[in-house]
Amino acid sequence: MDNNNYDVIVIGAGNAGLIAALELVKSDKKVLLLEKNNTPGGFATSFKRGRFEFDVSLHHLCEYGTEEHFGELYKLFEKLGIIDKFHLISLPVAYHVYSVEGKTEYKMPFGVSEFIEQMEEYVPGSRTSMKKFFIIAKEVREAFLYIEKNKGEVKEEYLKEEFINFMKVATFSLDKVLDSIKMPKKAQEILTSYWFYLGSPASTLSFIDFASSLYAYISFGAQVPSKRSYEISLVLAEEIEKLGGTIKYFSTVEEILFKDKKIAGVKLVDGPIYTAPHIISSVSPTFLYGKLLPEPVVPKEAIKLTNSRVLGARGFSIYLGLNQSAEDLGLTEYSYMIYHSLDSDKEFQNMSSIKNDSSVAVVLNNILPNCSPKGTTMMRFTSLFFGDAFSKNVTEKSYFEMKEKIAENILTCFEETTGISITPYIEEIEISSPVTFARYSGHPDGVIFGYKGTGLDNKLPRLLRMEEENYIPNLRTCGGFDVLLSGFSSTYLSGDLAAKFTLKDIKEMEEVEEEELHDRNRD
Amino acid sequence: MTEIEIDLQGIDAKDMNKFALLNKEREKIIHDSSLDAIHTEFNTNVIAQKLHPKEQWVKVSEIILETEDTKSFVLVPDTESGTKELAYFKAGQYISVEVKIDGGVYHRPYTLSCSPKQAFDNKYKITIKKVPNGIVSNYFFDLVQVGDTFSISAPVGEFTYERLRDANHILAIAGGSGITPIMSITEAIYDDIIDATISILYGTKTVQDILFKKRLDELASKSKKIKIEYILSEEKNESFMHGLITKDLMDTYLEEENSFFLCGPVPMYSYMNEILKEYNIAKKYIRHDLFRSDINNLRQERYSLTVLTHEKSIEIPCYGDETLLSTMEKNGILAPSKCYVGECGFCKSKLISGKVKTFDGDMRLKDKNYNYIHPCTAYPESDIVLKLPK
Repeated sequence: MDNNNYDVIVIGAGNAGLIAALELVKSDKKVLLLEKNNTPGGFATSFKRGRFEFDVSLHHLCEYGTEEHFGELYKLFEKLGIIDKFHLISLPVAYHVYSVEGKTEYKMPFGVSEFIEQMEEYVPGSRTSMKKFFIIAKEVREAFLYIEKNKGEVKEEYLKEEFINFMKVATFSLDKVLDSIKMPKKAQEILTSYWFYLGSPASTLSFIDFASSLYAYISFGAQVPSKRSYEISLVLAEEIEKLGGTIKYFSTVEEILFKDKKIAGVKLVDGPIYTAPHIISSVSPTFLYGKLLPEPVVPKEAIKLTNSRVLGARGFSIYLGLNQSAEDLGLTEYSYMIYHSLDSDKEFQNMSSIKNDSSVAVVLNNILPNCSPKGTTMMRFTSLFFGDAFSKNVTEKSYFEMKEKIAENILTCFEETTGISITPYIEEIEISSPVTFARYSGHPDGVIFGYKGTGLDNKLPRLLRMEEENYIPNLRTCGGFDVLLSGFSSTYLSGDLAAKFTLKDIKEMEEVEEEELHDRNRD
Repeated sequence: MTEIEIDLQGIDAKDMNKFALLNKEREKIIHDSSLDAIHTEFNTNVIAQKLHPKEQWVKVSEIILETEDTKSFVLVPDTESGTKELAYFKAGQYISVEVKIDGGVYHRPYTLSCSPKQAFDNKYKITIKKVPNGIVSNYFFDLVQVGDTFSISAPVGEFTYERLRDANHILAIAGGSGITPIMSITEAIYDDIIDATISILYGTKTVQDILFKKRLDELASKSKKIKIEYILSEEKNESFMHGLITKDLMDTYLEEENSFFLCGPVPMYSYMNEILKEYNIAKKYIRHDLFRSDINNLRQERYSLTVLTHEKSIEIPCYGDETLLSTMEKNGILAPSKCYVGECGFCKSKLISGKVKTFDGDMRLKDKNYNYIHPCTAYPESDIVLKLPK
């Protein structure tokens, strides 16, 4: 067997790379999946400390749903035949948000009508505007699906006919549209609490990005796998290998190779060369265009596009193994959102400072009681840093102390806000900073959310221009920096999209070759 | 598909035209953007690279004979091989050293025994005791010279002081060469890198076996935060305590809150665990350095081990009382490994067929389901086919 020549090489075995590789092996392509770490999944992984196995990053899977009412992710996993290979558990509550300044808390349920009714209870008089929001949100999601299905090539007339509300709001920010449906300010604040997962505040976040995400979340509910998100990563990796695909770990790509100005393969940092006429990359375009591709092949437009983009949220996580049960500690929720302010723009400013101590805390035991030994609890805190708040302050010498200090601030803020004491019970602690995420994923500056999806770099313009912005023939991109934005379901679906494009590229290349052969035969 | 056209104040049908402009507007933004080289240097990535280099090349700059069977090796960057500076570390961490001996390739974890501060002067110190039949430790003791170069990993390991988790007072129990991480932690306390106090109960067989005695005494006399007590198990000497570390002795060093840091041979852990039970303290206050759990009833039977890599398949003999990693090392098969005791997961490989004896507490849940094992702690019980990650 020829071990060095492939139909397609996929760079990075994160969510997107795994899905792309699996789709391609299922289409009988000879695939090589290269991963720099020793295990699949990228951020969808787990690690052990003492008697605890922590999920690195998953809060919840969106776009999954149930057998009766399912989303796009369910469809994708069903198509890949992996639905039965892992066990998912549903979240009971959509979110529980605390405002430190306002000394208030709100708990929002899943289900559109339940959500609207709960909001009416918190904010009397909000019902009409909330109903309007969900009508538009549902339509927005459907419009997006239509655009994705057509790979960004859409008929405007058709959109106007079918999705008139979508068309009207498509270019507006979240706060602007909520104002236009006269949603009371307080209801806006509670509703937009979910902004954290999209990484931009209401004034700059595109309404349609928020609306489609929140609609999927509230209407389909959300799940987590019983053996951490790594469970899905490993199932995908095993399927790829079972169907004849090759995965090579400890393999970092140094350069993408070209021959006669066409994609030819890759060279790894430790020397080996693998060839393929097609490549799918989940590397950030910052490093793809800035480092991996030889300078002469990078078009000016690709450089300009990359320079026009802004890096999104940098990640900071604390993993705690606690030596008391969640019940004894008084931890009742799966998730706690602790914000200083429910005004997302103010909160965004907080998160743009090194003093930021806001977080979203997850207690897995509250939906999966046996995820850690009896009488113990696992917690994860996630915070975001925007801009250079972290980067400009960190030095090699102060690093350990600095991340410990940030973690201490976050834990204190949680304890003071909820009145729940946790620090005395810490049996295991691990702190991941942007430095950790930069090392593990290789992404620029420890970014975990890709490029910021604001201004004209939100999902819609990215989708509409994805073919034009695919600058290098037979090189396709996917992952958290790509058109579908970041997040678990987005990256899985982005792998699907990349595989479809590559299959199209392969077909086109075959047709050209056939024609050439035909022409030659005629001569 | 639209169910109802919603009345939007301040947004109307004309705004639909903006949709048509999206493409052009984005194109314009790109067109007007800078053509400067893409910025690819980020402070965060630079620090990540400095703290966690993939490998570091070091040169032995000094060898110190500590005792009859133990030497310390001072390591400095081997600039000729491309390492300009050494990564910072947390006191208590180790590095994995790669050594090539007689056609074999070995990786061994050695604790850094110096203060983390030394890393800023581009110095590491590791302290190695000769163990009977230990291929690598004997090689180091007998053959390594000043000027020899090695490839080592970035510092790793969890036997570190965590301010948010641990008590303000560390009661360290060290046995023999198990003093090495405690030495580093004590230096870090002295250098104000760790904000804690420490009492060390250090057990050895004889006075001759005590490592770093001069330095430990010096630190204890200079700093109120540091106390040291030596206990000799096999030698009677008026200046030292005799016997084993007892609960009575530990009681005299207890403070209001204590974290017990244990490092020594395996029998010491089982002995200490019995004593610690009497204190009835939470597990979080008892920290162990890396250690190898004993696996009983290993049989010296010969089997065949087939190692699959991306490029080839190699068949070698293996034995029931030797780990798969050790067998691969002796045969010069470059398999990944770091901690050597099943903790770090770096050597994770897939058992394609065959049966191994191992302790599986360190595997992740799903890895177990799919027959992944840690070759560093897996003993064959049949012919084996093993697939390496690369």
